[in-house]
Amino acid sequence: MTTIDKNGGPSLTGHGDEWRDAKLSAHDARTATNWVEQKIDRRSMLTGKNRVSDDRDLMWQLEKEGEIVVHRVNDGNKVSMAKTLYGWDKKIPTDRLWHHKSCGQCGNIPGYPTSLLWMMNKLDVEYLDETDQTSCTAWNYHGSGIGNIESLAAVFLRNFHQAYVSGRAQGLPDGYFFPLVHCGTSFGNYKEVRGYLLHSAELRERVKKILGKLGRLVDGKLLIPEEIVHYSEWVHVMRGEIANHQVYDCSHIRSTIHPACHVYKMVPQDVIYDDDVLDGNRVAVSTGIMESMGTQVIDYSTWYDCCGFGFRHIISEREFTRSFAIDRKLRVAVDEAKSDVMIGHDTGCVTTLDKSQWIAQAMGEKIELPVMADIQFAALACGAHPYKIVQLHWHASAVEKLLEKMGIDQAASMAEFEAYLEQVKIGKQENLYDPRKMITSGPGFEKIEQKL
Amino acid sequence: MTNSSSTRVQEFIGDPLSEEPIVDRGKLEAVFNDIQADMRYDHELNGCLNCGICTATCPAAHYYDFSPREIVQLLWTENLEGIHDAMQEKIWSCAQCYTCAARCPFGNSPGGLVMIMRETAIKHGMESAKSVLRPFSRVMLKLISTGNQLAPDMITADHFPDWGPNISKVDAPLDLLRKAIPMPTLNTTKTAWEVNLKTSVELFTIWEETGVLDQLETIDENLFDVIEDFMEEKREDLEDWEEEQDDDDDE
Repeated sequence: MTTIDKNGGPSLTGHGDEWRDAKLSAHDARTATNWVEQKIDRRSMLTGKNRVSDDRDLMWQLEKEGEIVVHRVNDGNKVSMAKTLYGWDKKIPTDRLWHHKSCGQCGNIPGYPTSLLWMMNKLDVEYLDETDQTSCTAWNYHGSGIGNIESLAAVFLRNFHQAYVSGRAQGLPDGYFFPLVHCGTSFGNYKEVRGYLLHSAELRERVKKILGKLGRLVDGKLLIPEEIVHYSEWVHVMRGEIANHQVYDCSHIRSTIHPACHVYKMVPQDVIYDDDVLDGNRVAVSTGIMESMGTQVIDYSTWYDCCGFGFRHIISEREFTRSFAIDRKLRVAVDEAKSDVMIGHDTGCVTTLDKSQWIAQAMGEKIELPVMADIQFAALACGAHPYKIVQLHWHASAVEKLLEKMGIDQAASMAEFEAYLEQVKIGKQENLYDPRKMITSGPGFEKIEQKL
Repeated sequence: MTNSSSTRVQEFIGDPLSEEPIVDRGKLEAVFNDIQADMRYDHELNGCLNCGICTATCPAAHYYDFSPREIVQLLWTENLEGIHDAMQEKIWSCAQCYTCAARCPFGNSPGGLVMIMRETAIKHGMESAKSVLRPFSRVMLKLISTGNQLAPDMITADHFPDWGPNISKVDAPLDLLRKAIPMPTLNTTKTAWEVNLKTSVELFTIWEETGVLDQLETIDENLFDVIEDFMEEKREDLEDWEEEQDDDDDE
């Protein structure tokens, strides 16, 4: 819809034809904006809703009625309790974890998952990273519309069923490992899909036929996880233990957080809020760990905005992606917050914010803001190798500046990595776990018995 | 009224001076009925007072002729012509961030409604969907045939020139850099991680059973044919392996 702008030409407003300018004076416009800004990124913005219910109540009822089986977070998973948006309890498993990897992280930011596994090794956490996992398919779905609620639900149930039975390959009981979801879009999508599965008998019936055909039912029933847990939630509840391993002082580092839309705007009632983190007004993950590492977390006016990834836009509407990333996030973090690093907790955001800086030079602007995930920063602060483990050479942003500011010798680290590549060439690569564990069935499977 | 001098509204809705609508009423109703029939529709649309908080916070509204408030209003008032028009272009502007859903006082999800409309545009084989999704074919081929949406060999300076020269800051072959990642599942170049053969065949079964392959055939028949051939081979490979296992067990 077009309206006529002050120059008499058409302007695109996105408001529709019937929209009329309120013609506020500059003072009144500022007053109105101030009012909105006081409300807009506060917790009350998300909680002021009717009809909010805890889907887990329905889940327990359906299990009682014999309709589903619930994969519980059990004692072996060493539960840590957290509070969500409405003050509800959420069980966060901290041990025996099944890594539900992210396609964008593994394909493009590999230091994201490697930092997480490195930290788990440091904290003596048991886990499984295996080949019997698909993408959640939700990036493609949100970008293209190819897919539907039934396919998304079937993929969710297939992957989580595999997590449930994955211990069998090592002679371990079902339910030994609990899934830990790396990607924010997978996390949001799976929570949404679980809700629809719990509320719709018709959807359950439709996907049950498919899961049955795949041999992915438990006692003839659908398997639903008690909790859907994002890796950033694991980092959050483990932040105290992580800080015990810190080797570099970070108190002079100014950090900004970019919270991921699909982490906290999709099914917001299932997201961790902590009264000790930003007065409980904003999602606690990432801010919590950055505070525990001693950095100065700086607030900024566009905290609430998305990164511009857009799912489809990052592929085919890049003018939008890079403009939004620069105008609404990067420039604000640099100019307003004087940030040394921008921290994310999702795949698309870290990619977009990291990769959309170079192009600003086309407009004569130089933006140099290191971008990485919370767990990558935490691993660096705890002494992980910047290139062998944190894999920072895949980042386009000026991460070197941050390394130097943290007191890490960037040039020496790079020289070590280049020497390491020579070792890799002759097959002497180092791994974070026994590679035999990664195949749990099918071609290449080799059984490794593990005693409990 | 489909000649090149026609406006977008004339092309998709019709000439307001003509009594003959360009889009048949039956088709408009069929499209709307499909949107409304989605099980998520009543959950995503609860009412609307036109407050516009969704549009005020929408990243796409900053840059495109797109308004989540308008989308909600069109659906809420059952404006079939307007819905059909919005499906030609506007719905593809949405960045799917769900800020609108998080802020709507009514609990609407304009972003969720857009997804239902996108699925419907594909189902009806709308040209808008075909043209918009053309650049996505590489992702779809990768996803449907491997189970991974993205792979290291898709992230190259040639594909993303505006990302600059630092896609990798180490001058070494991609396969060597991937081998240097200390997670064995990630020592791959054609998929983001190594996907078990059985796993990708299971995912393909899900695509078949849920009608996703039908969607794909509607949008891009050539891509559909390529994927069918590819997956047929994978299925045969898995069956051969399973037969070998049975033979080994018999011996």
